[in-house]
Amino acid sequence: MAVERFLQPHASSWMANDGKNVDIAMSTRVRLARNLNNFKFPYAFTEDEALKVDKEISSVLLDKGNELDYTFSHISIEELAELQKEILVEKHLISPYLINSHHSGSVLLSDNEELSIMVNEEDHLRIQSLQSGFQLQQAYKIANELDSLLEKNLSYAFHEKHGYLTSCPTNVGTGMRASVMLHLPALTMSHQIQRIIPAISRLGMVVRGIYGEGSEALGNVYQISNQLTLGKSEYEILQDLENMTEQIIQQERKAREAIALNSPVVLEDRIYRSLGVLTHSRLLTTEEAATCLSDVRLGIDLKMIQDVDMSILNELMIFMQPAFLQQYADKPLQPKERDFARAKLFRERLNKNGINSEGEDLA
Amino acid sequence: MICDQCGERSASVIVKQQQQGQMVERNLCHICAAENHSINIAFEQDPLAIHQLLSNWFPNAQASINPVRKEIATCPSCGFTFSKFLRIGKFGCASCYDAFSPQLNEIFKRFHNGNIEHTGKIPASYGTTLKIKKEIEELRKQMQISIQGEHFEEAARLRDEVKVLSAKLEGGIQDGS
Ligand SMILES: [Zn+2]
Ligand SMILES: [Zn+2]
Repeated sequence: MAVERFLQPHASSWMANDGKNVDIAMSTRVRLARNLNNFKFPYAFTEDEALKVDKEISSVLLDKGNELDYTFSHISIEELAELQKEILVEKHLISPYLINSHHSGSVLLSDNEELSIMVNEEDHLRIQSLQSGFQLQQAYKIANELDSLLEKNLSYAFHEKHGYLTSCPTNVGTGMRASVMLHLPALTMSHQIQRIIPAISRLGMVVRGIYGEGSEALGNVYQISNQLTLGKSEYEILQDLENMTEQIIQQERKAREAIALNSPVVLEDRIYRSLGVLTHSRLLTTEEAATCLSDVRLGIDLKMIQDVDMSILNELMIFMQPAFLQQYADKPLQPKERDFARAKLFRERLNKNGINSEGEDLA
Repeated sequence: MICDQCGERSASVIVKQQQQGQMVERNLCHICAAENHSINIAFEQDPLAIHQLLSNWFPNAQASINPVRKEIATCPSCGFTFSKFLRIGKFGCASCYDAFSPQLNEIFKRFHNGNIEHTGKIPASYGTTLKIKKEIEELRKQMQISIQGEHFEEAARLRDEVKVLSAKLEGGIQDGS
């Protein structure tokens, strides 16, 4: 089945640890929302129309995708098992909304997992382009090329004044949402993040924590994205976001220097304790894993930790989630059992000689 | 109007709250409104729960904006009424944009910092002339940015691109098509 290759616990290329400013900016995403002109939008269309939309879009991509040197796999959401759907969500390849949809939907994935096109999510089309590091222009370029290819073969819902017409009034216009995932441990530790977030919001951009709903983002990972889609061109939106992100990166660097200078031992202690937790625990909750991953990541950036590969940390952030853990354990797991499996996974991936990884079963 | 909570940003949401048995109206900015747990705004799908905000902006009792139209506006293509649009916060089809157009500027303004017009990409199939005009506008903007940043080579390149496009535009008009 086409989906198998995407379910494997190997890192997608956007999780690789390269690209500009990758020590702070972990990944970049650009999403374009589009609808076809001759069909009702997903909130109003019938199942029959949903199937036609899916067919129309996927036939174009499967036929012409190679014009852009991409090979796409078409995966119908209905045909997937629950766990497989969740794994694709955990890998950020599809949205939770798509798997809960009442209509037929699908996803077209490029072999390298950098492009993912959701069909019949909230809009007929959601083109998503993912890149490792801080690469807004590159991510947009790829999404835009695919968009232009599709547009040659499909008739988009477009309005001279309102631009690309979308289901939600917050996406109308460019239909573009661009975002950068940032690891900001020093700004969080020094409580500067609370001052930065409102300032960003005032400029028409939004900051969100990635996993948590609380005031502190889980693992100190934040996502900054544009909120406006009208009144500015794609170019201007990307410029604004790029400038803002660069400033935040500079602030984070300064805060890191300040902390390393003012309390080096406290910081070092915290980083090595976290490394100890990740490599030796027997039970590891999501929160603890995220916090410790953040510390170890910082330790690598500050050259305190030399022998841990950053790309393994990126993988672990994805694979420590419930669906992946259940695939790894090859059975359904209760929350407590997940903590055990998570700890085992971390020990296996981080202890090179496998000292701690022998002779244990997942109870 | 200034936000009742932060006293900083301009208020864009009217929130009605039950306080000690009394209905109290508060004027909040979009950020304070989002932080206000008593109105239960969820963050999952959109930055702000659209339907929550919409129904706060257009509460049924306060049908001040074109009350008649609000009741009867129905999209001929998908059957969505304006009330339904407010309730779920989503359009049913492209024609909804025309059917509800009297109210939309107001709504777009609030979501997009006062902006109502698209100035970005245009599908090639949509009309070459419009596309070229908008492209020229965009290139001019980029040119300004390049000049301000003293990237003069880039600015010169953009200027040449504008020239080529302008010529194309004139050519098109001369063809009389
Ligand atoms: Zn406020
Ligand atoms: Zn409609």
